[in-house]
Amino acid sequence: MARKLRVWVDHDVCVGNAMCETIAPKVFRLNENRQSEAVDPEGDTVEKILEAAENCPVSAIFVEDAETGEQLFP
Amino acid sequence: MVAAIPDDMFTPDVIADPYNYYGRLRDEDPVHWNETYALWVVTRHDDVTRLTRHHELFSSAVFKNDPKPAYPAIDESDLGLYEYVRHYQGDQFIQHDRPEHLDMRRIVHGYFTPKSMEAWRPFVVDAVSELLDAAEKKGRMDVMRDLATPLPVLVIAQMMGVPREDRPYVRQLAEKLLYIGRGEHNRMPVLTDGMKGMLEYVSPLVDERIVRPGDDFISVLASGEKKGVFTRHQVLVNTSLLLLAGHETTINLICNGTLAFIQHPDQWALLKKDSAGAAKWATEECLRYDAPVKSIQRLASQDVEMRDKVMRKNDRIRWFISSANRDPNVFADPDRFDITRQPNPHVAFGNGVHHCLGATLARVEGQEVFKALAARFPALQVDTQELQYQPSITFRSLKSLPVTWQ
Ligand code: HEM
Ligand code: SF4
Repeated sequence: MARKLRVWVDHDVCVGNAMCETIAPKVFRLNENRQSEAVDPEGDTVEKILEAAENCPVSAIFVEDAETGEQLFP
Repeated sequence: MVAAIPDDMFTPDVIADPYNYYGRLRDEDPVHWNETYALWVVTRHDDVTRLTRHHELFSSAVFKNDPKPAYPAIDESDLGLYEYVRHYQGDQFIQHDRPEHLDMRRIVHGYFTPKSMEAWRPFVVDAVSELLDAAEKKGRMDVMRDLATPLPVLVIAQMMGVPREDRPYVRQLAEKLLYIGRGEHNRMPVLTDGMKGMLEYVSPLVDERIVRPGDDFISVLASGEKKGVFTRHQVLVNTSLLLLAGHETTINLICNGTLAFIQHPDQWALLKKDSAGAAKWATEECLRYDAPVKSIQRLASQDVEMRDKVMRKNDRIRWFISSANRDPNVFADPDRFDITRQPNPHVAFGNGVHHCLGATLARVEGQEVFKALAARFPALQVDTQELQYQPSITFRSLKSLPVTWQ
């Protein structure tokens, strides 16, 4: 079974670069302020979500294992 | 009645202290039509944020599409050279909109992730330490010449695989390219000279990478040509963009930040107490307080309202980082240099899809410089009567920053 993730974006940090939405559009969506929201943590594979987090230029994306709480990114 | 705000943005007082002039605009007429240059001047933090995040309303393809003549005016005889500048600048990926910009940014973005830039930190630490060893022996230094310039030039040249002996020449060309942001009517020949020199210089480097790609950044750009995203001219101008953007701005961060510390001994003491812990937020405050880049341009893609004004399609717009970073609606006591400010949502690197590609690299360089200065020098003093800035509307660049520590 696929691992369940908790994914969130720190809006004090997000600059609306939109790279996360480009990489995983089902998971990340820019809101009306053009900041990213993690709308569906099951919208893509763990690998894609981690790729999106890694490509955020300001490291605004946080990823955790929803069950164990293990921090997967950063 | 409030006195009218003069429109000449190149006068010595505006160049010396942009905070007073653009701060006044921000407080009195935040979306200001500058009649002299036929240009909107946007100065508030919320407007700047909105503008940079709405790339579909505010185009970055300024040089290609601006229907108006250059400002300030240039010599009539140089109009041909201005066309050359438009073609050159227009091919930089920073001057593109989506969808092309996204394809182009994706070629280069992966090289600059925070994680891959962290890997450069040890290289930066060693370079800072070597430069400061040399300065310490002399007992004085020009922060500009001896630290702020050689460090980022060294780092970006290393990244791009530019041979060591060529670095002073690259810096010379870069100094000509900086005329892009200046006001002299006869600036075009110097500028185009720099552009032609740059293309000539990088051309063989690119040729080589097309045939034998390495792990340097020019090879990354060259891979964009193979993928059909860049033309050869685009690879060349983007190589030169990266060489320039990769150092000029960081020079200003180092000089302006060092000067801010000299002028605020209490903050210097705070940094010295725990330089490793404080360097991160101290660097953010340097970026906010005396931002390396003052302003950048856009063109309105359609008619668009901002506050009580209507911008028309193809109107040109300049958004000011210097005033947005001191906006009292966002920053408490905004004219105070406070290295503990947290969070610090300054816009020194812009925002939105064009957010600075090299932001993490610049941060790493700034952090290591301020850390090392605080660790090695008990006190620094400015060693000149008068500090002078380059007469640029784009860059906040000191001409030199001589210091002593005795
Ligand atoms: C303190 C240092 C720096 C500052 C203040 C700075 C500032 C900026 C700003 C404000 C922008 C946004 C431009 C726009 O929205 O039109 C930008 C974009 C850019 N910067 Fe920087 N920069 C710095 C360092 C660097 C470095 C070290 C590099 C390269 C290694 C770099 C490369 C770029 C590039 C390529 C872009 C264009 C990005 C795009 O259009 O997608 N910058 N920078
Ligand atoms: S990549 Fe980062 S900065 Fe950009 S929108 Fe996503 S979370 Fe925000």
